[in-house]
Amino acid sequence: MEKRTLIIYTVITLMGFIFAVMSGYSQEDVINVEDSAFEKKMRPAVPFLHDKHNETAGIDECNTCHHVYEDGKENEYDSSEDQECSECHTINKGDNSMSLVKIYHLQCKGCHQKKKAGPIMCSECHPR
Amino acid sequence: MHDIYNFVSGPLVWVSFIIFFGGSLYRLISMAVLARKKDVFVYEYMSLKFGLRSILHWIIPFGTVKWRKNPLFTIVTFTFHICIIFIPIFLSAHIILWKESWGISWWYISDTAADVLAIVVIASCIFFLVRRIVLPEVKYLTSISDYVILAIVAAPFITGFWTYHQWPGFKVMGIIHIVAGEIMLAAIPFTRLIHMIFFPFTRGYMGSEFGAIRHAKDW
Amino acid sequence: MAEPAIKRNDESYKIVDEGIDKGIARLSPEKIEQVINKVLAAETGARLKTYVETCVHCGLCSEACHYYLSHDNDPKFSPAGKVKQTIWEILKRKGKVDPEFIRDASRIASTECNLCRRCAMYCPFGIDIAYLMSVVRRLCHMLGVTQLYIQDTAHSHSATLNQMWVKEDEWIDTLFWQEEEAQDEISSLRIPIEKEGSEIFYSVIAPEPKFRAQLIYQAAVIMNAAGVDFTMPATPGWDNSDQCMFTGDYEMMGRLKKAHFETAMRLKVKRIVMGECGHAFRSVYDVGNRWLAWKMPPIPVTHAVEFYYELLKQGKIKIAKKYDKPVTFQDPCNIIRGKGLHEKARYVVEALCEEFIEMHPNREHNYCCCAGGGVINTGPQYKMKRIKGNRIKAEQLFATKTRGAKVIIAPCHNCHGGIEDILHHHGLDMELHFLGDIIYKVMEKPV
Repeated sequence: MEKRTLIIYTVITLMGFIFAVMSGYSQEDVINVEDSAFEKKMRPAVPFLHDKHNETAGIDECNTCHHVYEDGKENEYDSSEDQECSECHTINKGDNSMSLVKIYHLQCKGCHQKKKAGPIMCSECHPR
Repeated sequence: MHDIYNFVSGPLVWVSFIIFFGGSLYRLISMAVLARKKDVFVYEYMSLKFGLRSILHWIIPFGTVKWRKNPLFTIVTFTFHICIIFIPIFLSAHIILWKESWGISWWYISDTAADVLAIVVIASCIFFLVRRIVLPEVKYLTSISDYVILAIVAAPFITGFWTYHQWPGFKVMGIIHIVAGEIMLAAIPFTRLIHMIFFPFTRGYMGSEFGAIRHAKDW
Repeated sequence: MAEPAIKRNDESYKIVDEGIDKGIARLSPEKIEQVINKVLAAETGARLKTYVETCVHCGLCSEACHYYLSHDNDPKFSPAGKVKQTIWEILKRKGKVDPEFIRDASRIASTECNLCRRCAMYCPFGIDIAYLMSVVRRLCHMLGVTQLYIQDTAHSHSATLNQMWVKEDEWIDTLFWQEEEAQDEISSLRIPIEKEGSEIFYSVIAPEPKFRAQLIYQAAVIMNAAGVDFTMPATPGWDNSDQCMFTGDYEMMGRLKKAHFETAMRLKVKRIVMGECGHAFRSVYDVGNRWLAWKMPPIPVTHAVEFYYELLKQGKIKIAKKYDKPVTFQDPCNIIRGKGLHEKARYVVEALCEEFIEMHPNREHNYCCCAGGGVINTGPQYKMKRIKGNRIKAEQLFATKTRGAKVIIAPCHNCHGGIEDILHHHGLDMELHFLGDIIYKVMEKPV
């Protein structure tokens, strides 16, 4: 075999390998549902695949989840994806009454309950 | 899964709470009525002061001769009884559920602490089990129902521990955990777990008899 | 063949008791079921139910019982073990038990439990196991199954209102006799009979005039020396003892206590002072009065220990020279767990004696003598059973003797009976006395 042919094979194999690896990374990144207002986390943050979730759930509008309320009424034309929940759902510092946890839970679990789809038990969302 | 979860964490919770509170109240009232009819002197001799005096000695670890004579048992039984009441009430995972459903919440313990305490409870249950099997005087008194009662009490803690640590089958275990807790609550009024409700009265009555009539200590 | 539920290889099963045998022979399963259910329905209620349903079968009561400890921790002798073999089974089978079951139940409740109530202090729930055993005795009584000897004393109670078939004239005669004897020592001494309006009605148990008349003598000396205004009745009702309370013959118990209280009323005394007897005190102060619907006795009742305490405290009795042998004190269940007289008793003992050595355990936690609760009254055939059932008492006494005690003071007739047998059987060389014996020995006597 000629030296040249060997190089071509090697390059092709390498590229194939890189492609294979890259194709895995090309899927959506897993992000954790975080909020800076949680001082100390009781349970690990919930890993969340944003696009895959919305695809499965058939959610097109951002404000289905990232809602905006003005004077107690939902503003259907606005959305809040650039904000943390706690910016509107304010809690007092040191409030451990689980108010913030509750609104996160109602957002996820509440909807899952309504649609009878998706995880609803503690350990289904919060990994170890 | 949704339907099962919603059922066990919804209506079944109500059922178990109603059975627990209603059943306990029923047992108490019916026993009080029966006592009024058949053991009326119990009312005559019952003394708040001496009843409480006796109860106080018995609910303090090492507060009685009996507790001092059996230090290991005393330590185990006190930690066990405190834990089985304490953990479910102050567990964050329970409190968030109440917060979601009824909007109520209070101070809670860290999950790590709960984890350790759950191990203590499970270990205590094993201690009680071994005691039942090994000690002749306990074995002699033991019937199947004693093991069943022990299992009823241990189950919520074992399944809860399992679910929390997400061991294999934890989703199903989570459902079993909820049901186990409900079974335990509902079982209290109608099994020997009633000792939880009757303790103040049996001990209080003996304390009253010993204190007010017999001028002696009963600890 | 299936093994019987309870192994009958213990020698206690070989005891022949005509009262039991004849009673059992008259029973049929139908009669048993009918009687048991009738009695349980009529006489038991919340207490029995609560106690049975609250017990978590933990076995903590075991070490409270001298029978259990003396039988190498045999669970059949633990308090709850005895309940298991009797009342649990009766309730579980709804009274459908056979005559042989009743034989065992009677044996357990009447000869393997002294109703000493030590276990109530070891059960975290305070379950009154003595009460549960009393229920079993009551059932056996209603079925006509009671040990011959104690039934005989119950018959005596029924016929004469005293425990020992003492006839009225014999009683009066005994008092005269003791008065005369004592007058040799103190010429002015009187045992006032039927003296209406006296301060005190001094009551005794029938075995005192029957076997231990010197106790009446001593009491008379103490009363006279202290200048106490007392009297003793000439009529039935003088006896404060009560074996019917132990056989479960509560109707008779009620009659006895009524006679006793009414005698006190008739004599218009201020209170009853009773001799050094435990079970009688239980009957007059705790059990009998309740049957008659008196929350507390209708007339104050003072046990000898408390009475001696008063006399010494008030200086009515002076001690000439303290008793010099080292003594220990047996706390009788019915006046310690029954009336809390332990500290007063110690005051008396220390006032009388040079050296007092505690036995351990003591006070409320003292071991039972194994004679009380009617057990010694079940008769001589059960004597060895009592002795074997209280090896722990022998050990306790031996340990106290090792620490120097030479004399045991026991202010209770049953304790005397039980301990006497134990001392004799084990060759424990210790003296046994009543408090009255010691007071009589050490007091300043008028001439």
